Amino acid sequence: MTLTHLNARGEAHMVDVADKAESRREARARGTVRMLPATLALLVEGGLPKGDVLATARIAGIQAAKRTHELIPLCHALALSKVTVEFEIDVDDSCVHVESSCRLNGRTGVEMEALTAVSVACLTLYDMCKAVDKGMTIDDVRLEAKSGGRSGDWRREVDARPAGMIASHAPAEGELNDGAEPAGRQTIANADGSPVGEDMSRAIDEPRGKAGGDCEGVITVRFLAELRERLGCETLTLPLGDLGTRDVAGVKRALAAADARFEVLDGKRVLVAHNQVMAGEGTAVNAADEIAFFPPVTGG
Amino acid sequence: MTIQIKIQPEPFDAGERQRQLLRSRTDTGAVVSFTGLVRDFNERPEVQALSLEHFPGMTETALRQIAEEARQRWALQAVTIIHRIGRLAPGDGIVLVQVASAHRRAAFEACDFIMDILKTRAPFWKKEHTSSGDYWVSERQSDHEDAGRWEYR
Repeated sequence: MTLTHLNARGEAHMVDVADKAESRREARARGTVRMLPATLALLVEGGLPKGDVLATARIAGIQAAKRTHELIPLCHALALSKVTVEFEIDVDDSCVHVESSCRLNGRTGVEMEALTAVSVACLTLYDMCKAVDKGMTIDDVRLEAKSGGRSGDWRREVDARPAGMIASHAPAEGELNDGAEPAGRQTIANADGSPVGEDMSRAIDEPRGKAGGDCEGVITVRFLAELRERLGCETLTLPLGDLGTRDVAGVKRALAAADARFEVLDGKRVLVAHNQVMAGEGTAVNAADEIAFFPPVTGG
Repeated sequence: MTIQIKIQPEPFDAGERQRQLLRSRTDTGAVVSFTGLVRDFNERPEVQALSLEHFPGMTETALRQIAEEARQRWALQAVTIIHRIGRLAPGDGIVLVQVASAHRRAAFEACDFIMDILKTRAPFWKKEHTSSGDYWVSERQSDHEDAGRWEYR
């Protein structure tokens, strides 16, 4: 597997598509805007100060798809044959699901167009509703399916995020997002509305049943800086019973077994701290310990 | 020896810190003060800002330990380490290290040592915001070579 936007020297370049065969290309992406039930009710009734929210967001999404090449540096300008942006009002979860489909006969995929349409439609929803609800969150922007082209068809399996994921996405103390929301409302939930944290411990618990974890306790695993962003995961808990060996190496193996994405932890440039002291592969791990993985430090 | 460690989003005033370091003592013969600043170019040009993340809880311990190591190697009277976190702009101070000693050699070397070890051991990470996007700063081999000069562990 190679990254087609990087040349042999690792520099970014635009892929030459002149010699690629034309084929029918389609992509579908989704995202979710979560809001207070009262906000959703206003949106449905058309009672928001900026007017018809969904019609505006739809046009914004379609316009954005057409201008993707102006936003994403190495994207080609495409003559899209179809762009749709649809909304589903989800009263149970108090959110709006946004879905976009893009299509063309051409030489490049349209995933970026579909993702851009969803992103901008979500942002427009936010903009239209922010007067009454600043705590809204834009979640789960993702590609659902694509077809055509050399890499063939692809469809999202139920949920391709790391199984052991996510107690919270809150920025770590000291990571300042300028103008960020106060860390008040971190509504992170699965599609079924259950908090992601619970789903996470289920996911790691299930393969072994209830046996070990409960009576032996758990450890907390943290990911920092670039590693947190790459894994999409800040903290998770791991039952001690899941560890083959009660050491840092055992933690890495248990995480990799739960989700292949955690295999990156075995990289040479991943550092580890045990209860906030630099540690190594052989460092012993006990109940209630905290293991933190992070990239090489770059302070000073 | 007095050790002062601070991790803060606010700017620091090197002159004021140095006055505090020396307050009520007359046995000091030398103070070395190092300030690290945000450059407007790094791996990419046009760095517009920098976000510094750290590992709360571990950071302070790590800095204190570095100061302790310095004290074991040189005869020092006081060490101050202040590291900023959060969003910084080009020209802003990131880190301040001040070392007081009876004689200059110890102060120079200890300050150099503290910065070298801090760069490779203290849990801080920089993300640069440039006109061509945001990216995490990667480690430098030269920093490891610098730290290696001290045969530190």
